[in-house]
Amino acid sequence: MEHLLQVIGQNMFAIFGALALAGAAFMVISRSAVHSVLGFLFAMLCVAGCFLSLEAEFLGMAQILVYAGGIVVLFLFVVMLVELSKYKEKGLFQLQSRYAIGVVAIGAIGFLAMFRKAFFGAPSSEALVLRPDLAKGLDVAQQNAQAISRSLFADNLLPFEILSIVLLVALVGALVLAKKERV
Amino acid sequence: MANLNAVLLISFLLFSIGVLGILIRRNALIILMCVELMLNAANLNFIAFARHYGSATGQAYALLVMGFAAAEVAVGLALVVALYRKRDTVQVDDINLLKG
Repeated sequence: MEHLLQVIGQNMFAIFGALALAGAAFMVISRSAVHSVLGFLFAMLCVAGCFLSLEAEFLGMAQILVYAGGIVVLFLFVVMLVELSKYKEKGLFQLQSRYAIGVVAIGAIGFLAMFRKAFFGAPSSEALVLRPDLAKGLDVAQQNAQAISRSLFADNLLPFEILSIVLLVALVGALVLAKKERV
Repeated sequence: MANLNAVLLISFLLFSIGVLGILIRRNALIILMCVELMLNAANLNFIAFARHYGSATGQAYALLVMGFAAAEVAVGLALVVALYRKRDTVQVDDINLLKG
C-alpha cells in the first residue's frame, strides 16, 4: 500500500496529464453541448493538477479559480441561452472531418518524428531562481506567488498593463456585441 | 517528478486535440472551448520551461496568457450570442454570408 502511494506520488504529472487528455477527447466527441462543457471542466481541473505537480502552486490555484469558477460557468450560461431543443443539429461533425483527422494525424506524426530526440531525451530540471536584487529576503522555492509577483511587476510590467487595457476593451466589446438594439 | 519531455508530450497532445476539435466540430461553442484548450497547452509549455530553466518569467507569462484567454472567451461568447439572435443558429456551416 505504501509502495503504491509512493508510485502514484512520483507519477502525479503523468496521471493528471492522461486524465486531461481523456477529458479533452470526451469534449471533442460528445454529442451534447452540456457534456462537452463538463469534459472541458474536467480537462481544465486536470491541467490545474499538472500545474501543481510542476511546482507552480499559484498558477494551479489561479487555473481552478479562473476556469472552473469563471469560464466554465460562462459557457454553461451560453449553452442554456443558445442550445434550444427546437432545432436539431444536422450532424455532429463537419463534412471534411475525414480529411481533417488525416491532416492532424500526419502533422502529429511528423512533429513527433522531428522532435523525438527532444521528447525522449535526458530529463532535467532546476529550482526556481530570481535575479539576486529581486530575490532579496525571499525563499523563492517556497514562496511561489511572491516570486511570480516580483517577476511580473519588476521585469514584465508592460505586458501586465497591456493586459489590463485588453480586458477593458474585451469588457466593453462584449457588452456592445451582446446588446439587443443598436444605438 | 515529471521531466520536461513528458510535459512537452502531454501539451503537444492537448494542442493536437484542440486543433482536431476546431477542424471537425460544427458547434461554435465547442470550437471556442477547443481554442481554450490550445491556450492551456501553451501554458503548460510555459510552466514546463520555467521549471526547466528555473526562471519565474515563464510562470508570469502563463498568468498573462490566462488573462488573455479570459478576455478572448468573453468576446467569443458575446459573438455567439449575437449570432444566435441574428441567425438563430450556432452551427458554423450554416453561416455562409461570405460564400461566393
